[in-house]
Amino acid sequence: MIMIAHLFKLIWNRKKQNFLLMLEMLISFIVMFAVFTLLVYYYKNYNLPKGFDYDHVWSIKYNDPQGMQDADSIASFNASVKRMIQSLPEVQAVSFSSINVPFGDANMGTSVISNKITEQTEVYRVDDDYKKTLNINLTEGRWFSKEDDISKEKAVVINEALKQRFFGAENAVGKLINYEGAPNPGNMRIVGVIPELKDKGDFSAPGNGFYVRIDTSNQGRDGALLIKVRPGTGAAFESRLYKALANIIRSTSIDILHMDQQRIYKNRQMLGPIIILMVFAGFLIINVALGLFGILWYNINKRRSEIGLRRAVGASGHAISLQLIAEALVLSTMSLLVGSFFAVQFPLLNIFNIASGVYLSALLLAVLFIYSLVIVCAFYPGRQAAGIYPAVALHED
Amino acid sequence: MFKNYFKIAIAVLKRRKFFTFVSLFGISFTLTILIVLAAFIDNLIGAGYPDTARDRELYVNNISLRSTKNPSDINGGPSFYFLDHYVSPLKIPQKLAIASGNSHTSSYTNEKKLVIDLKYTNDQFWEVLQFRFIEGKPYAKQEVDNGEKVAVISEETRDNYFGKGVSVAGKYIETDNVRYRVIGVVQNVSVMQLFAHADIYVPYTLSKENFHNTDISGGYNGIILLRSRADIPGMKEEYSRMAAKVPLNSKIFDVLYTSADTYLEWFARNMIDDHTGSAGLGTFFALTGIFLFLFLLLPTLNLVNMNISRIIERSSEIGVRKAFGASSRTLVYQFIIENLILTFIGNAIGILFSFIAIQALNSSDLIDNLHLSINVNVLIFSLLLSLIFGLLSGVYPAWRMSSMQVVEALKAQ
Repeated sequence: MIMIAHLFKLIWNRKKQNFLLMLEMLISFIVMFAVFTLLVYYYKNYNLPKGFDYDHVWSIKYNDPQGMQDADSIASFNASVKRMIQSLPEVQAVSFSSINVPFGDANMGTSVISNKITEQTEVYRVDDDYKKTLNINLTEGRWFSKEDDISKEKAVVINEALKQRFFGAENAVGKLINYEGAPNPGNMRIVGVIPELKDKGDFSAPGNGFYVRIDTSNQGRDGALLIKVRPGTGAAFESRLYKALANIIRSTSIDILHMDQQRIYKNRQMLGPIIILMVFAGFLIINVALGLFGILWYNINKRRSEIGLRRAVGASGHAISLQLIAEALVLSTMSLLVGSFFAVQFPLLNIFNIASGVYLSALLLAVLFIYSLVIVCAFYPGRQAAGIYPAVALHED
Repeated sequence: MFKNYFKIAIAVLKRRKFFTFVSLFGISFTLTILIVLAAFIDNLIGAGYPDTARDRELYVNNISLRSTKNPSDINGGPSFYFLDHYVSPLKIPQKLAIASGNSHTSSYTNEKKLVIDLKYTNDQFWEVLQFRFIEGKPYAKQEVDNGEKVAVISEETRDNYFGKGVSVAGKYIETDNVRYRVIGVVQNVSVMQLFAHADIYVPYTLSKENFHNTDISGGYNGIILLRSRADIPGMKEEYSRMAAKVPLNSKIFDVLYTSADTYLEWFARNMIDDHTGSAGLGTFFALTGIFLFLFLLLPTLNLVNMNISRIIERSSEIGVRKAFGASSRTLVYQFIIENLILTFIGNAIGILFSFIAIQALNSSDLIDNLHLSINVNVLIFSLLLSLIFGLLSGVYPAWRMSSMQVVEALKAQ
């Protein structure tokens, strides 16, 4: 439209005057872009399926018994601990795990190779009952079982994310995999694939997952017990379990953690900073909005004679206020163009490894937000301008 | 002359009430947020119950072991052995408090589960930190050496475990599957007191840890109390000399970095993650400065924009003064002072709002036992901030105003 080109020209002529205003809008856009990126990222992660059940699951840090030397004794001791807990009527399932239990603070990472591709992944050491304890459904193949005791190759399970990276849409079961740098390549075989478990909190994106079976060769000193109890189990049972475990786990304090409670703590950790950020951003934007409102009102007052003249030659009040709003929008478009150029670097350079979709949504939302802000701030002054009587405005001061 | 400027400033502010309102709103809210933040940091870093002698204390919490042959490292606190064997015999300290980090222990009572933070300490812990005892007294060297199962608990723990306001004389508390005799109750400590906060304190000799272990790195903290602030440089000297002679009986690590830091140095060190060099206070202040600048940027721009909008309005006034011989310098001076008056009024409103916000935060449940307050440090900080704010947002508009041509300014609009 010729009108818009004309507006751009008008503003370009007055660019020096408008420079500070455009700078202010640019910085507001950047702030909103940051806020929306975080919000969209968290929202996306929140909507991912959890992949497992955490209700009524307790986790307890567990160390292998001190003073036992050989792997077989440790293995049979641990098996008897598991049988003891399993025999309690309130217990539905028990499983051993490595220390990186869901919603805990530990991470264990490693590098694995398959199909000639190397990937970083989180590694979990688990046993045959892990699937039952956390209620995980397989998407391919099977979970660990007794038959893996005697198989020649070590059985491993991977998650969907890792499968996509290695094999794309192909089946993963039966393929070979190994740790990076291990001496004999290909002595681990994938027996099953599970979905990604959202085990770092509702707002974190789950990553690659690699599950190995606990056996005498990789029993570590630091691990955990996961216990699924029947609904309605109370503190009385927990107290008995605590005493029973205290006689077994002697070296450190025992902390029976409820997984659903840990999830809430983890979520709070992630939400805390973002709430503070939003309070800051909210205040900054209110500031900007009020300032914008004041400046636009003042500028319109300055141009009374011009507006009066236009009305005298026949422009309707409606057209006047539209023009003023359009001017404000053109002004912000100039800032937004610069801001978008800066913002679009984020998905292009894949900063922070966040999906491009998140950045682009955030960019769009921030642009819409700034435009809405400008329209709201220009609306009332525009209406004021539309109500100017030509005769009064053209009066010699 | 200043009185005149003040009168003019107030008259100008009254003329355009809406602009004045918007400016004051922006200024006071910016300052409120920054003042509350300053109160927070002051609470975190400054001396407070029970650590009231912070200005003559040094903290031994930094043990960093490195290897020149491979990239392994351990960054953490000292072990009990290090504090007891190497730091304790030093000459300059008056006292040495040794305390472990907190373990979360479980206590089951009356069908209820309580999570109780447990801290192992030595006897001098109670002499360095000034706890207020509501009942009873702390354990002494004798009880620690004999490994007696005694404990001091916090007021909150007493209320949760025994009942509100109940006396603990002769009572026992069981947590972590161990039964302790309660010998004292202390007033609650804020969680912001990182080294002093716990729910229950017991002698370190009751720890299940193996004290014959000669590892230097471990989960303990040391607080050195000096006789006066003047001892600080001498103490750091003596500490470095000692640290240079500590043998590292380790197959992996061959270099030790350790330091005795003031609280601010320790805090800065942790924020910047620099365990080997000097505490990096310079970097810490630089980062804080940059953050403040970025936060002030948008409100400042806003204020600048609004001031510029009002220039034209006062053009006849400026024109008249210039025609009568006022120099540009005088005008710039006047306008900057007017702007500063505005920001100082905003500051006063900001302090009022921060006071209300702090009262609200203190009584809310967001952080336990929080006692923020606006003390002298925070007030001085706020004045400085409003000065900077006023200058930043006033200089450019003032220069624009004063550089107007007289003829242009006097022209009828």
